[in-house]
Amino acid sequence: MKIKERKRDGVAILEMSGRLMGGPDAEAFDEILKTLIHEGCRNVVVSMEKVRWVNSTGLGILISGYTTLKKSGGELKLLKVSDRIENIFIVSKLYTVFESYQDEDEAIQSFA
Amino acid sequence: MNNRIVIKLPSRMEFLGIPDVVLMEIGTEFSCSSRCLEELGTSIIEACTNAMEHGNKLDEEVEIEIIFEVGEESVTVTVLDTGPGFDFSSWEPSDELMRPRGRGILIMREFTDELEFGRHDDGRFMVRLVKQLGSCGEDES
Repeated sequence: MKIKERKRDGVAILEMSGRLMGGPDAEAFDEILKTLIHEGCRNVVVSMEKVRWVNSTGLGILISGYTTLKKSGGELKLLKVSDRIENIFIVSKLYTVFESYQDEDEAIQSFA
Repeated sequence: MNNRIVIKLPSRMEFLGIPDVVLMEIGTEFSCSSRCLEELGTSIIEACTNAMEHGNKLDEEVEIEIIFEVGEESVTVTVLDTGPGFDFSSWEPSDELMRPRGRGILIMREFTDELEFGRHDDGRFMVRLVKQLGSCGEDES
């Protein structure tokens, strides 16, 4: 998995690409979130547009990130989740936890 | 006609996507919605994750084996590892929504039409996933 980071209106946008499946990916994602929190940026949008698939350990990365940001007073929201990945969120009931948007402007404005 | 495809992979997580690619390629040969293929692909990835991680303890020298059997109405995928396996009959879904792990079996169960855990004739632990090709409807044209 690759993670490209940018910021917009005080919100960090993490563009993930490839496969989200735990292991070293979890450490890299956790490290980025810790740095963002240290810098005072606690609101994060994770763009899933270029993620081909997610497995259950990959879901764990997002859950861990969500919890970390929540504890620091921030939020993690999802952007451009594919139908394939959305189905996984539905069967695991995680759609009730993660806010998800198809439009980046809407995702950014949701933090206002 | 022989519709049996067998692949073997070292227990390295970076190879988890290979069976999914194989399935998508197989899928071009039969009439099946993309949702049906994606659900089966996601289930295979979960089965292979468990086989590599819990079964073969991520020992790169130990392979997992994936067998695709394509029928007229269904696809059967068997994933084999060398681990001790577990007792599916005692499995229950967890109510803890934010648990970091432990959704693999739930995903496999929801996305397949038949799910079986057991012991192969040669002693390896086996997960068998069956997906009916017409179970997810047709793609919108």
